[in-house]
Amino acid sequence: MFSLKLAFQSIVREKWMNLLSMLSIGVMLFILVAVAIIVYNVEKLTVRLPERLTVMVILKEGVTSEENKSVLAAIKADPAVKSIVFVSKEKALDDLKKSLKKDDFILKGFVENPLFDSFDVKIKSEGIRIDEVKRLIQKIKSMKAVEDVEYGELLMDSIYALKRGLRALGLSIGIIFVCSVTFICYTTVKILFYRHRDEIEVYKLLGATRWFVRAPFFLEGSIIGIFGGVLGSGMLMGFYHYFFRRLVTDIPMFAFISIPLQFLYLLPVCGMLLGLGGSVLALGRLKY
Amino acid sequence: MIELENVSKTFGGQVALSNVSLKVERGDMAFITGPSGAGKTTLFKLLYLADKPDTGTITIAGCNAADVKSSYIPLLRRNIGVVFQDFKLLNNKTVYDNIALTLRIRGFMEREIKERVHSVLKMVNLRHKVDNYPLTLSGGEQQRITIARSIVGEPTVMLADEPTGNLDEENEKEIMRIFKQINAKGTTILIATHNRMLYKNTARKVFTLETGQLKDEEEE
Repeated sequence: MFSLKLAFQSIVREKWMNLLSMLSIGVMLFILVAVAIIVYNVEKLTVRLPERLTVMVILKEGVTSEENKSVLAAIKADPAVKSIVFVSKEKALDDLKKSLKKDDFILKGFVENPLFDSFDVKIKSEGIRIDEVKRLIQKIKSMKAVEDVEYGELLMDSIYALKRGLRALGLSIGIIFVCSVTFICYTTVKILFYRHRDEIEVYKLLGATRWFVRAPFFLEGSIIGIFGGVLGSGMLMGFYHYFFRRLVTDIPMFAFISIPLQFLYLLPVCGMLLGLGGSVLALGRLKY
Repeated sequence: MIELENVSKTFGGQVALSNVSLKVERGDMAFITGPSGAGKTTLFKLLYLADKPDTGTITIAGCNAADVKSSYIPLLRRNIGVVFQDFKLLNNKTVYDNIALTLRIRGFMEREIKERVHSVLKMVNLRHKVDNYPLTLSGGEQQRITIARSIVGEPTVMLADEPTGNLDEENEKEIMRIFKQINAKGTTILIATHNRMLYKNTARKVFTLETGQLKDEEEE
């Protein structure tokens, strides 16, 4: 309790320096959480991507009914497949005519049905990674009766490349900002320690242990981190209420974005841990 | 209670103490005298374990200083009260908090701290200054507070380095009266001073240091 009292006294005594540190930590944690929210939303968006994907398996001309059945059975047995529907080339032509509506005259130039028999394959919604989808497609392509497989490869690859890039960027920014917050706490505590050097000298003469001398600084670093985190949470709240909610109301296409409000509790805890880490590093090599 | 055997200490080739041997018995009050630079402060630093001798052994408060692990030094220091010429009070804390600090470091309960602080303040005649800050007190009063802080933990040994160095004659007498009172309760006291008036008719032993060597040991 006495250490806590000393820590609070020191925070009040050095209020401007501590306030500046808290503000810097708050801003950094807010940026960190903003990056985390972007990465989180992209992850959320892409996790259901395979579900939206329809894989069209085009069969070769003249495939027998037996071969057809064996392809159907092999695809259906795959754990990534949700459902599979056979589409005959006649049905495919009917569907095409329906979708072309008044423009179906385009098809009148064909003497024969130019389409192929095919299967429409739906991928399961949960727990299926894009690697598994690619494995399935390779497997289908290798079947004798299969002519080709279409699944919007380019779009999917672009989205996943973007996701990977964002993840890497998020991780880099995360590491940089975590180090920066720790460094701010480290510097603040070190400066405070040197400012209290005479006081510490007296403590030592009176028989204070290392722990007694260090505890107030550990607590002070943690408290600075907590308040920095609270400021970051405040900024997040402000952003959520005054910007994000209006944005979603005005432009509904952004409605898919979600901000997990658990970050509000998480930020002060992160701040505390980083503050404590900075303090431990600051006092780690000192002889007291 | 305090014993040095063949203690030597050098700083960058410069001899601060050379082969010093002395003994102060339990419950004694002894003085170390000598001109500035004689090695008094170095000797005190070795006694309160702020430094280690190059050679020789130091026994204080029943412990051999050379054998004490660094983690035990704080615990040993709790048995040694230290008083300095420049007081070393915390100016941002009240008289009460300065004295109470000694006990808070040891984990005493607030009720006992209060009792003990008031008791030592009564002993040094400064009970009425309990809420003052050190810089509002005179030099003599500050030194009495320092003494109160060093005895509140009831140490068995007390070291005072030029305790009256900046004080007038009246305050000198008052400080010495307090030291005698503490000594009468059984605390071993070693005082470093170059003021002859301070130890005249007071001490049983006076050690004289000159250029790091013990020149004289006299019984008064």
